[in-house]
Parts: sequence; structure tokens; C-alpha cells
Amino acid sequence: MDLLQGTLDVLILKTLSWEPMHGYAISRWIRQRTDDVLTVEDAALYQALHRLERKGLIESEWGLSENNRRAKYYQLTAAGRKQFRAEATEWRQYAEAVFKVLETASQ
Amino acid sequence: MRRIPGIRRAFRLPWSSTSRVNREVDDELRFHLDMKTKELVDGGVPLDEALRQARTQFGDIEYTRRYMNRTDRERMVSERRAEWSDEVRQDVRFSLRQLRRDPGFTIIALITLALGIGANTAIFSVVRGVLLRELPYAEPTSLLRIFSTVDGYQSSVSPADFNDWRNQTRSFSALAATDESTVNLTGSGPAERFKQARVSANLFQLLGVRPALGRAFTPGEDAEAAPRVVILSDGLWRARFGADRAIIGTQIVLDGFATEIVGVAPPEMRYPSPVDMWLTTRFGPRDFSDSKRGARWIDVVGRLAPGVSAARAQSDLATVARRLEQQDPRHNTGFGTRVVPLHEEMVGRVRTPLIILLAAVGLVMLIACANVASLLLGRTAAREAELAVRTALGAGRGRLVRQLLTESVCLAVIGGALGLGLAVWGTRLLLALAPGDIPRLYDVRVDGWVLAFTLAATVVAALVFGAIPVWQAQMGRLASTLREGNRGSRARPGTSRTRGMLVVSEITLALMLLAGAGLLIRSFAQLREVDPGFESAQVATFTVTLSPVKYAALDQQRAFATELLDRVRRIPGVDSTGVTFGLPLSGAGFVLSFDVTGRSAPPPNAEPSAQVRVASAGYFAAMGIPLKRGRSFTTSDRAGAPRVLLISEETARLFFPGEDPIGRHIQFGWTRDGDRLAGEIVGIVGDVRQRSLSSDRTPHAYVAYEQWPLDEITVVMRTRTDPARALRTAQGIVTSLDRDLPVYDAFTLESLVSRSLGQPRFYLLLLSVFAGLAVVLAAVGIYGVVAYTVQQRTREIGIRIALGASTDRVVAMVVWRGLALAVIGVALGTAGAFAVTRVLRSLLFGVSQHDPLTFFGVAALLGIVALLASWLPARRAARVDPLAAMRADG
Repeated sequence: MDLLQGTLDVLILKTLSWEPMHGYAISRWIRQRTDDVLTVEDAALYQALHRLERKGLIESEWGLSENNRRAKYYQLTAAGRKQFRAEATEWRQYAEAVFKVLETASQ
Repeated sequence: MRRIPGIRRAFRLPWSSTSRVNREVDDELRFHLDMKTKELVDGGVPLDEALRQARTQFGDIEYTRRYMNRTDRERMVSERRAEWSDEVRQDVRFSLRQLRRDPGFTIIALITLALGIGANTAIFSVVRGVLLRELPYAEPTSLLRIFSTVDGYQSSVSPADFNDWRNQTRSFSALAATDESTVNLTGSGPAERFKQARVSANLFQLLGVRPALGRAFTPGEDAEAAPRVVILSDGLWRARFGADRAIIGTQIVLDGFATEIVGVAPPEMRYPSPVDMWLTTRFGPRDFSDSKRGARWIDVVGRLAPGVSAARAQSDLATVARRLEQQDPRHNTGFGTRVVPLHEEMVGRVRTPLIILLAAVGLVMLIACANVASLLLGRTAAREAELAVRTALGAGRGRLVRQLLTESVCLAVIGGALGLGLAVWGTRLLLALAPGDIPRLYDVRVDGWVLAFTLAATVVAALVFGAIPVWQAQMGRLASTLREGNRGSRARPGTSRTRGMLVVSEITLALMLLAGAGLLIRSFAQLREVDPGFESAQVATFTVTLSPVKYAALDQQRAFATELLDRVRRIPGVDSTGVTFGLPLSGAGFVLSFDVTGRSAPPPNAEPSAQVRVASAGYFAAMGIPLKRGRSFTTSDRAGAPRVLLISEETARLFFPGEDPIGRHIQFGWTRDGDRLAGEIVGIVGDVRQRSLSSDRTPHAYVAYEQWPLDEITVVMRTRTDPARALRTAQGIVTSLDRDLPVYDAFTLESLVSRSLGQPRFYLLLLSVFAGLAVVLAAVGIYGVVAYTVQQRTREIGIRIALGASTDRVVAMVVWRGLALAVIGVALGTAGAFAVTRVLRSLLFGVSQHDPLTFFGVAALLGIVALLASWLPARRAARVDPLAAMRADG
């Protein structure tokens, strides 16, 4: 299933709200969490990461990965955390509203 | 996951690191593809297949790479910018905190700067308005004034010459004549006297001025028989006619003639001067005839034809002048022409004094900067420990320099803002103080140029006084300060020397200013000493001009004057009274050439001539002009009696050397209705100054009023009581005699004398204020340096006192430091002043530009100031407690 427009940013923010991660880990995490239902194209993911960094919602730092390789780690900034909270609430309300409508239609 | 702390700092991107951005993006992408490949291989996919799959699953790698590069570069730029402005904000906050922490320093520095910048801006606003602002007319640079010249002296122009120039030259696209005088407005409201200009019909077109309302004059309206028309000034239209737009086409009565208002001029139209209304010249063929060629009384303005230079116009006019000389040698021998750019003609007289003032105030600014630099140096020295610690903690040299410069700029900007406020107020003050005869003061205002000047002055000031401490604060030295464990005990030789040099230059400049002011003061005192030739105390005067309609006949004019004088004489408190035409010091009056009966006719243009005045019998007593020989006018010198004349001592000296003028008959070149002005000299009176106290004596001749009445009557009255009250009473008398006759130029003779000193007083006042400011600043500078020395040498002084040095010796040692600087400064300043007071020459009267008394006086004055400024901090040195001083210093 393809991602809805604008969903990717909030998913990245959510992923990074646990801990700093590099791009590959983020991609893997999203795949596992959605049981492979949502497919995130890697190209889109990396573009989104750099876009979010440019906006100041996340920041990056070079660190060492599990297998001792240099990797770029992303983490939420204060602004990013705030943005995530706002977007998450919005998504929840949106999804509930859509769900409610769909339930009504099936009766 | 392990992370290396501080790695982010290590990877801070320097300014131009596009390649680094690219490399990092590549690294990040390669890491992802490697991990993906590894995952696939771990899942059992063969390596080459895994490599391929990783790439295809990724999507558009190239596009993504470009996208990432671009986004990172943008981020880098904006981060750098944010960081920089952050640092600036930090520096500014830090600077303001530092300035607040040391209010004594900050207040002195700010006052110094505000005064310097404020005074400079105020003077510049005057220079800008008067000298630099373009005239508000179309293509002002092609406008010229044209004068006649007599033996090199500039004179007005005769209508006949003007007419010939207009018809016979090709260099001008237009020429216009103007003549300023006054006019009575009667009818609507009280009778009032207004300034008028009688001008050629083409004046408005020539200047490129469109009337704000109605129309300009049309060709032919300046002819003798044309209907009378007037254009009102904007000011008169608003003040007297309530800005009524329906005024166009209505009639007003001017000097008794019904005149139609055809237009209202825009406010910026002020040619030939800020008059109240413009009328037309109404020249007739008689005015242009050769017989009238000697009557030179109009002013001429011209616009150069396109592509013609002023020099060519000049030679074109010279050709006409030569032709006239051949044609009519009696009136034209020795006459030439001169063209002067209009702007130059208007402001040329005040250019030198204004530029001197600007230079003087610039010197004040330099002194102010030197002072602030010296204060800053003292502070930087005191803060060495702080700066050294910051260097040790890793603040780069550039960062520290920026910090020091930021402090200077903060000081300068605050000082500049305060200075601007001061300048707005100062400009207003200058305009209020300035004498009315400085031209174009109405064009002075604080405009964009003036603001730009203030900004420039502020920036230059910041750079000048900011650079010196930065130059001093060499980072290497600072580091060594820290190592040595600075206890503030050593006087830093570098800092002391620099501050000493700054103070010496302050004293040098202050002395130059003081010498200039001193010379002007001496010169002014000399001017006050000049005997104007009359006694101004307790004398008041006013003028009326009779309407040419109501008082057309000379008998009517005479009758009015006699009646008026009779009534004025009876005012209680009035001792003596008389009438005249053309008061001394007013510059008013006219020069007439004359022949002495019994002498052979002199060659053309070498005839004797004198300022001719018309005066009644009581005039000399009222003015206090002494009779030197013979007799004065008496009441028996009436209309029918033989004509009598008085001459001044200068006339006797110049034109009757070695002979007795009394009893000689002379005839003037002025004929009225066939009656030539002539008479017998019956007495000699004292000389009076005609134009100003500094002008040379001019020959005068007086005609009895009864025998030669005029329509312009100036009444002079000497009073025992308040002259102002007598003036008010006299005003009532005039109104009771003729309701339509306005009284004007009503003032006391003392104010006339005072007004004639207006410009010298104004320049003197300003230069004195600047010199005073310079002296105060220099004194503060000396005080600061000596106090700093005392502070730096506290320990040494303590030891000296402990070893038995007397208080006097200690004080003398410290005072000597300040005095030595003063001596060098005074010596340099005297030499400098000697070299530059030359520029003041045109402003000096009766005193040499190298007046020894002035030079000695200002040097002594500055020496005393320096002594005082050194002695105050030296007293503190004497009070040093040797034990405390040494203990505190370890």
C-alpha cells in the first residue's frame, strides 16, 4: 500500500521519538512496525530526512553503527518533538473521523 | 549504539564546503546500500543480485543525491547566517552590559560623541541648505546674474543697458530685470507695507516656475501702458487673503493703483528674494533712452542658451559694452559687464565663513574622537585581564577584535542617535540666532542628506576611536599579561604613550580653534570701538512712503512731512526730530556725481560723487551727528529760499583738498521735472558709516528736505524716555494723518547698530562655542591621562612617599606629566594656528591674523586649563597611603 500524501514526515518523527537512528534503521523500523503493509520508498525517505533537517525539526550527527561503521544519526529537535505531537493529534482525529464515517456507511 | 561526543563540533562545516556536503551525502547513501545488500545476502540472495536489488528498491538514487546535496547546502548557509547574527547579538548585548557596568565612562563618552556629532550635523544642515542645495529652479546651473562694472567695481544695471543686452546678445535664451522695493497695500483691512519685486514679464518662464494658482505674466505686461497686474507670494496669499482660491481676477490697491491679481506663486519661488508679491517693471521707451543710461538701479538675471558657456556670454556682453562706449562715451566710458553664476552670487559672501565653521566643528569632532579613543584605551588596559582570560579560553583574535569594535560601534550609534536629536534642536537654535542677512536660511532643514551625513560621521567616529584600542590590544601581549599575573601595577608604556599622543593632538587642535575664536573676539571688540558717526542711544526711527497717487505733487509731500514732524516733536519725551532718506548703516541711499561750479569739467567717469541724503533741519541733532564747521540747516532754508547743502568731512577731504568748501556751489546729476539738484555748501558735518561699521568712510552730501522733498520719509527722534513708547505714539500720529499709510522699518538706532554686527557676532558666537567645547574636551583628556597615570603608579607613589618624598614633590611629579603634554600641544597648536588663521582674514577687522596678544592669551589660557586638569588627579596621588598601596599590590 502506498503512503498517503504527508504521512511520511509524521512517521519519521514518530520513529525518531524513541531514539536517534540512521536512515537505514528508520526504513527498517517503519517496515517492521507496519508489518510490511506500508512500503516506504528509500529515495523518498532520505529526501524527507534532509527536508526535515533543513526545517530544523530533526538534526544529524555522525556516529558509529552496530557493526562499527560510520553512519549519520538523526534525532528530534525540540521543535520536531512539538511538531510531532501536533501532527499525531491531528492524524488521530482525522483517522477517527474517517473511520466513523466508514462504520456508519456499512450499517 | 556508541556516539563520539563532540563529533558534531569537529564536523562543523566551514564556509565553502560544498565538497564536504557532497562527500557526506555519498557516505550516507553508501552506508544505506551496504546495509541493504548485507540484509539481502544474509537472507540468501547472491551478492551480485543483492547489489542490484538494493539499488532498484531504493528508487531514483541520482535525483535523491542531488536533492540531498541542495537541501544540505541551503541548511548550511542559513545556519551560518543565524550563527553570525547570533554572535553579533551576543556581542551587542555584552557590549551594552559592559557600558552599563561603567556608567562614568559611558556617560562621558556619550556626551562627548553626542556634542561632536550634534554640532557637526547642525552646521552641516546649514551648509547643505545654503551652499549645497540646488536652487529650486529649472536647470539652475545655467542661470547667471549680470552686473555692470565701473572701473572693476560691480554695480547695478540701467534699464537702457538691459534693453541693449536683450536685443544685441545671442548667448542668452532669456534675460529678465528685477528691482526690489516696498509697496503699500490699502483697501482690504489695515494699510500695510509689503516687499515687492518689479520684474520683467518673462521672469517666471525664465526660472521655470509655474504659478500655484492663476497664471504667470504674459509678454507685454511689463510695458509702460500695460494694465497693472500682480502675482502674490504663497505666504501673503495665506496670511492676508486666507488662501482664497477665488482671489484670482480680483483687484487690490497697491500704492493707490488698482491692480489685478493674476496669480499666486508656489512657496519655493523666492527670486530675487523672499518678497511678498511680484509686479511688472512697466519700462517705457524713455527708460531705455541714452539719456537714462546713467541710472543704474535694476538687477539682471539670465539663462544661458543651450551649449553656451558663461565665458562666451561674458565676451558677447563685452562686445555690446564696447559698442556702447564708442556710441555714448559720456555715460559708458569705463563701464563693463560681469557674469556670475546665480547660486554663487546669492551665497558667495557667506561661503568662506560657513566653510570655516564647518572645518572648526570638524576639528571639535576630531578632538571628541581622540577623547573617546583615549578613554577606551584606559578601559581596555583596565580590562586586560578579562581579555587575556577570554583569549586563553579560546576566543579567537578575530572574535575579540570584533567584540572591541562592537563596543565602539555601540557607543558611536548611541552617541549618533543622541547627536541627531541634539542636531535637530541645534539647527533650530542656529536658525533662530542667525542674522537675517545670511541668504537661503529658509532652505535649511534636516533632510536625507543631513541624516546621511550624521550616519557617515557616526561610522567614521566609530572607526577612528575604535581602531586605536584594537590596535593596542595585541593578543600576544594580552597572553603575556596573563602569564605575568597582572596585578595592575605596571603602567603599560604603549598605552600611556598612545594616550599621551592623543591628548597632545587634542590640545593642538583646541589651541587652533581657540586662536581663531580669540581673533574673532578681538576683531569684534575693534568693530564695537568703531564710531558710527552718530549716537545711537535713545533714538528711534520709522519710515513711511507716500502714495504716488494721493501725494503726486511735491508740495503735498512737503506738507505731509512738515505736519508729521510738527506732531512728532510734540510727543512728550521727544527732544529733537528730523527726517531723512537713507539711514546710516542701512546701506540704503544713492550715489550721485556732481560738478563744482568754477572748475573745468573732469574727464568722463572721474567726476566727484557722493552719497546724497535728504535731511531736515533737526536731523543732525536727533542723530547726534556733529557739525564741524559752518552752519547746519535751519527752518529758513525753505522751499523758495536759495538751495543750501551740507557735506561730510570725507567729501571735503576728497574733493576740496587745501581749499575751503564752504561757499562753493555744486550741481548733482539728478534732474527732476527740469529742476537740477544744486546748491551752496554752507557747512561740514561728521562722517557716518554708510553700509557697515567695517566699511570705509564714504563721502556724503546732504540736501535740505524742505527744498527737495521725497515721497519716502524716514523720521528720526531722540527721546528722553522709552524710545519704543515714542514709536507707538508716532505710529498713531501717522494713522491719524492718513489712514492708508503704513509705518514700517520702525526700530531703535541701537538695534540698527546691533543688526549691522549680526554676521560677525554670529560667527564669533559659534566659533567661541566650538573653541570652548574643544577646551573642555581637551581638559577632560588631560585629566583622564593624568588620573590613569596616578592609578597605574599607585604602588610606586606609595614607595616614594614611604621613602620620604614630600607631598609637594609627588604632586609636582604627577602634574608635570600633564603639563609636559600641554606644553607640546600648545607649541604644535601655536604653529598650526599661525599657519591656518590666514583663512580667517576676510572675517577679521582691525586685528592681524597673527595678533601676538591673541596667540599669547590663548596659549596661556590653555596652559592654565591644563595645569588645573592635571592638578586635580595629582592631589589624589598625594593622598596615597603608602602602606595600603603596597599591601594591595602584594
